[in-house]
Amino acid sequence: MDKYKEFLALNVLNEERIISYRALSRALKVHTHLAKQMLYAFHHDENAKRPGSVHATYIIAGTKAIQTVPQTNGGPSQRSTNSFTQPSSPPLSSMPDQDGQEDHESDENITTTRFLLVREEDMKEAKAQFDEITSIHVYTIEPTPPKDLQVLTNCNREIQKEYANEDPLKDWRQYGTIQNPNVKRRTNRRPPPPAAPIATTAAAKMAPRPSSTTIAKSTEPPPAKRRKSSESAASASRASTPQVDAAAIPPSKPEAKAKAPTLKRDKSDIFKSFAKSKPPKPKKRDTASSAEATPAPEDEAMKDASEDEQEEDFALTAPTVDDKAARQARKEREEALRNMMEDEDEPMDDAPEMQAVAEQQATLIDSKAEEEPEQKEEVTVSGGRRRGRRRVMKKKTAKDEEGYLVTKEEPVWESFSEDEPVPKKAKVPVSSGSAAKGKKGAKAGQGNIMSFFGKK
Amino acid sequence: MAVAETADSLLQRPSDNAFPILDRVPSSYNPLSTFILPKGEDRHYTQQFADMYFARLARVKPAVEQIAEEAWEGFEIAGETARRVDRALDVRQGELCWVVGTVYMEMPLKPNILDDLSKEHWISAPPDREKYISPGGKDETMLEDESGRLRLTGQHLQSQMLVTGCIIAAMGTENADGAFEVIDSRIVDLPRQPERWERDDEALALTGKSVKKQRPESGKVAIVSGLEISGDAADNLNLDLLTEYLLGEVSSSPGRSDAAQISRLVIAGNSLAHASPIPTRDELATKKGGKKYGYDASTYNPTPTEHLDDFLAALLPSIPITLLPGTSDPANVALPQQPLHHALFPHSREYANRPTEEGAGPSWFDSVTNPWEGDVDGWRFLGTGGQPIDDVFKYVAGEDRLDMMEHLLRWRCNAPTAPDTLWCYPFQMQDPLLIKDCPHVYFVGNQPRFETRVIDGPAGQLVRIIAVPKFRETGVLVLVDAETLGVECVQFGTFDRG
Repeated sequence: MDKYKEFLALNVLNEERIISYRALSRALKVHTHLAKQMLYAFHHDENAKRPGSVHATYIIAGTKAIQTVPQTNGGPSQRSTNSFTQPSSPPLSSMPDQDGQEDHESDENITTTRFLLVREEDMKEAKAQFDEITSIHVYTIEPTPPKDLQVLTNCNREIQKEYANEDPLKDWRQYGTIQNPNVKRRTNRRPPPPAAPIATTAAAKMAPRPSSTTIAKSTEPPPAKRRKSSESAASASRASTPQVDAAAIPPSKPEAKAKAPTLKRDKSDIFKSFAKSKPPKPKKRDTASSAEATPAPEDEAMKDASEDEQEEDFALTAPTVDDKAARQARKEREEALRNMMEDEDEPMDDAPEMQAVAEQQATLIDSKAEEEPEQKEEVTVSGGRRRGRRRVMKKKTAKDEEGYLVTKEEPVWESFSEDEPVPKKAKVPVSSGSAAKGKKGAKAGQGNIMSFFGKK
Repeated sequence: MAVAETADSLLQRPSDNAFPILDRVPSSYNPLSTFILPKGEDRHYTQQFADMYFARLARVKPAVEQIAEEAWEGFEIAGETARRVDRALDVRQGELCWVVGTVYMEMPLKPNILDDLSKEHWISAPPDREKYISPGGKDETMLEDESGRLRLTGQHLQSQMLVTGCIIAAMGTENADGAFEVIDSRIVDLPRQPERWERDDEALALTGKSVKKQRPESGKVAIVSGLEISGDAADNLNLDLLTEYLLGEVSSSPGRSDAAQISRLVIAGNSLAHASPIPTRDELATKKGGKKYGYDASTYNPTPTEHLDDFLAALLPSIPITLLPGTSDPANVALPQQPLHHALFPHSREYANRPTEEGAGPSWFDSVTNPWEGDVDGWRFLGTGGQPIDDVFKYVAGEDRLDMMEHLLRWRCNAPTAPDTLWCYPFQMQDPLLIKDCPHVYFVGNQPRFETRVIDGPAGQLVRIIAVPKFRETGVLVLVDAETLGVECVQFGTFDRG
């Protein structure tokens, strides 16, 4: 029963997060009403210990009778209707009745229930606005008063992301959500793994993030053996993560330089739409892996290059994200993509995958270093081919230094790829776009970055 | 201010009380496909719009004539009896007569197709006007039928609300200027109103089942419009509150049982803020000078659609939704707007019927046309995203939206100003925009503020008309009681000092 105190102390006091009753109820798997009471108790106790240590935002529900048709409006409207209805309603004798009724109707009082979100310090004034208050409860508690109440939306956004793999039809019951016995949902003719219908949404929302990174990684290493092993290892998660394929496919289609990129994007979008509802993932997986299995040398070079770069991105950005994500949810959203990448760790939860992935990572890191020199050469060779990417670079480098692109030597490339994270990131979400949830956050950030560069 | 007894039940320490699990009231739902356009090859845009006017006049004329006949039978002025004239051109000068036709408003400030054609000669196109009425009284009212046009004048016109496309019977005489001096006019008024449960009962009778006498008590229907999800960093907190309210998570126990009474959510247009018109391929290609590498995030931002999808997907496990498109939604621009495509809703479409599923009954998540009509809990609902009213608003002097809505019903036309100033599909043989059955509830989305009224018709029809405000601006959700057709509001907001 007292688990909530721990949870709240950890999240609100230590991590300085905003916790809503919904977040609490989901975290502890309790009824939302109970969560509201927990928030209240925690807020009460903490402030008794140390006044002002926790701030609460309340929601007040109440009624207030308002006149629907304001007088200014009611007058003229009635006159005009009368003048209009008079000629048109055949029995003239009905006019008085009609008038009477209209008078009656426009005087009709419409009850309005209001839900008002109020900071604790504003409670008195807010209460005064109501005729009758039917309910008050704590909406969120937070370490400091929020400047803008809009930040509270992040609570729900996090819930949506974090608990996306729950089956709303089953799991929401415990939260006190109103149940609907008549709900009609598509029964999924999804073949193998997740028999439960949730799996679709769950897979679509949650799984991709972690597994995409793992698989991307696992497929990265060119040696066929490794790929196989990784495939077998990750096969379980793979089945439900089509985006990975989307991510993997684009690099394997490098032929058309200028146009290919857009094509690829389109592809991944298509896959995205498939990913949510239809099962063709396994197939795609196959095609993707087969494409990889018989790669033209060029292709490989590209694939490796891009993927390596991505990896470096994660490495670079991960730590900073860690700090921010904990505190500022909004920023977190912008960096959701980076989070996505950072989630590398998560997949390891799955015991079987863990070792394999870990190994792969280790080897990867090694091989990365080895591979890079190769890339450089190939990149220079195929420089014209990858102009698109280079352009992006240019824009970026133009800002601080220009020597970047001109020099084609190895060291230059390396620094190039290190500096590149931002544009790269912009790309990543798209390819792994089917992870709707992760993507959403990513897009915001991405959009900004892209448009920034787009101005040129 | 009174505080209800149970109000602070949640402001106490966690209790061991078990909280009840609530079930939502079932929704009886039977949509009509009146406004579905033919698909693919069968949809043509080459027809002339004139056919629409002919069809409309042909359909409405007999009814108007009957009403006029009854009203003006034996009507005499100075010994002269009003005589019916079949065609507008048959009106003779100095003769008291009445004629039926379509109103056409000649307004200099109205957008003109010829202006569009000559647009390139302008430095910049004139801004959209709030009203087409020109101050100098240069506007002219005409009455037209297939034979020709008659210019209308007279005091009587001032008291009438008239827009292009509505059909009236006008009585008067042609004066020396060749204009028709109107003394009186009639319109067609409300059509027949079906009984409650009429269609459902018919369907039952057809299948040979006995008509159910006892139906479970209906709940409430929630109507909201103008969510205008924009994907901005600070998205609307009200939207969260709306979700939580409908799911029955916010507020205490009495509030929850209120929410459990809501059996269906209708979204009346403008769910997305800036999603229309959809840029064409050419526009996308020419918009930016240089080609971007890959996906160009500056030209397309998917966040709003995702937020909308998430919003719907969060509600659908608990409440069925009917979604109408609106002006700013990514549907076709011309009325009737066709349903928003399921591809926009990767998560919510789990709750919609597969396109291949025939006869599976209405979708739980029903993406429908705008305008849309259908039976909800036995009542006939008719609703639009607001375009026809917004357009009529430009023709008339007043501000009273309810009045315009009422007139639309009494003209029996969902969008009289289409195709004149409102884009619409060139219907040919029939005009689905004509109102054949009088609805019980007529709602129009995206209006400046919440208003409602009950109007009645000559045959005892009662119609609840509701102007639904934009949620983004007002935070108002409208609830219609499906037993009494009474209306109440729920408003969400934040308390801000000052």
